[in-house]
Amino acid sequence: MSDIIFEVKDVHYSYLGKFPALCGVEMTIRSGEKIAVIGANGTGKSTLLQLLDGLIFPDHGHVTAFGERLLENSQNDEKSAHRFRRRVGLVFQNADIQLFCPSVKEDIAFGPLQFGVAEEEVNRRILEVAKALDIQHLLDRVPHQLSIGEKRRVAIASVLAIDPDVYLFDEPTAGLDPLTVRHIIDFIVTASQRGKTIITATHDLHIIGEIADTVYVFGRNKSIVRGGSSESVLNDRTLLESNNLIHIHRHHHGGREHVHQHLPLEPHD
Amino acid sequence: MSNPLHKRRDFIERSMLSALSFIKEATLSEEYANRKGFLQSLDPRFKTISFLAFLVTAVSLKSAALIGTLYGFCLILAFFSKIPIRKFFARTLLFIPLFSLCIVLPTLFGIVTPGEPVWSFHVSGINGIITRPGLDGAVLFVVRIATSVSLVVLLSLTTRHSELLKVLRLFGVPQIFVLTVSMCYRYLHLFATMVENIFTAVKSRVGVVSQQRHGQKIVAWNIATTWNRTTHMSEEVYMAMLSRGYTGEPRLLSEFNATPKDWLWLLCAIIICSGLFYKGYFL
Ligand SMILES: Nc1ncnc2c1ncn2[C@@H]1O[C@H](COP(=O)(O)OP(=O)(O)OP(=O)(O)O)[C@@H](O)[C@H]1O
Ligand SMILES: [Mg+2]
Repeated sequence: MSDIIFEVKDVHYSYLGKFPALCGVEMTIRSGEKIAVIGANGTGKSTLLQLLDGLIFPDHGHVTAFGERLLENSQNDEKSAHRFRRRVGLVFQNADIQLFCPSVKEDIAFGPLQFGVAEEEVNRRILEVAKALDIQHLLDRVPHQLSIGEKRRVAIASVLAIDPDVYLFDEPTAGLDPLTVRHIIDFIVTASQRGKTIITATHDLHIIGEIADTVYVFGRNKSIVRGGSSESVLNDRTLLESNNLIHIHRHHHGGREHVHQHLPLEPHD
Repeated sequence: MSNPLHKRRDFIERSMLSALSFIKEATLSEEYANRKGFLQSLDPRFKTISFLAFLVTAVSLKSAALIGTLYGFCLILAFFSKIPIRKFFARTLLFIPLFSLCIVLPTLFGIVTPGEPVWSFHVSGINGIITRPGLDGAVLFVVRIATSVSLVVLLSLTTRHSELLKVLRLFGVPQIFVLTVSMCYRYLHLFATMVENIFTAVKSRVGVVSQQRHGQKIVAWNIATTWNRTTHMSEEVYMAMLSRGYTGEPRLLSEFNATPKDWLWLLCAIIICSGLFYKGYFL
């Protein structure tokens, strides 16, 4: 089938050969899908996204992207590397790492310039992207001196400037204020409506309903314990609880103590 | 419990922290570069070239008065670039004694520059004579150093370091070098911040860091991991670059916009320099 974008087959990966991060992961991602990958800390979500972005390669099994195997040496020549990089963009979990240029403007320009986009076009894109993410006032700033939320928006802008077909987001909303979270969700939804494929790693269950149709739950065994539509997964309390994704809360309310579960779909008072 | 050893360690700790924040402030702050003043408004290329011309002039002129004129001009520029004059003096003064003392001292004395003695002294059997040409030379030298240092400080205060680095490309420095140096800058900032944070964090847990063995150990260990963290980060930064299409030769924006104002400024700079040269060498 031609609309398959990623095919992950029995992928195993370990860091330095001794810290297992993924053990036997299987998934198929089609064009235009909205996917969420959820799981507790350290279950291998970031590792998966880096595999999909062709930055690391499996010890076992394989990843196919756009009908071609992702192999370490297939990216050696500039042309094939660029063909892939133009189509897939990763927003890293740590925006401090993603932003390495001396100014916000240059960071946004970095991707398109590597692909040989003409400078006038790059300048046009900088303005367009800055407007979309509301960072026009930050263009001349030094990236590492920005706040976390500002950095995150700049990081997204730097990927948006490439205009890839597939967006990989690693914890796009962690540590952000509600308004910025809203802004980023809206961005993801709009991108999806424009036909982009979106894969988001998160443990923020509140946003999943909007940013994903399909959810994969990663368990402590570092593989997928469940995959399915977002409703069916979000309604499976025992699954979420046993995977550290929801927890029992003990609250004080006006001197009275009460206990309740934190549920993704019902905002708690 | 005022053990002198403890006091000294406390002092070392405090001065280390203040040295760190000074380095951060002096080398990494862009407060003045972001102000809206005269020099900040110029194209960095034109600014750098004109300041190079001023520097060459300051170094070649042989009259303290002419170099002094240039120094006065430098102060006026600082004023119009919204740099607090006292801060400016403090920055330059910091470097001047360092530079001048070690080079000037030997020339002051008769051993190197013979001539009419101005002042002689005898200290524990050593005869010292300060000579007229020696003194004049020293004055010239100090003025020259003060002016050169001021020019360099003024240029660096009013230009973002990323732009200064970009100017390097004009002189044929490869882009990979420019990108690497600007990333080093970033790491320096990150490293300084991390060490500062570690000190604060450890202090909040064990009190004064250097008075307790435990505290010292934590700091040592943390500095080691900080190093690991920065090297690990550079690997990740490399991945982030790959992810956005980097394949070995970075391409960066080359936008500079020269305005008529920049050309006018360059013209002024040339006139000033040649005027000073003319006065110094032909009049
Ligand atoms: N550079 C590394 N070196 C060694 N082990 C690592 C490294 N990066 C990750 N790991 C290990 O790999 C496993 C998966 O890590 P990963 O970062 O993919 O998890 P994650 O699901 O993204 O977690 P989080 O929600 O905290 O971001 C973890 O057990 C982690 O300890
Ligand atoms: Mg992660």
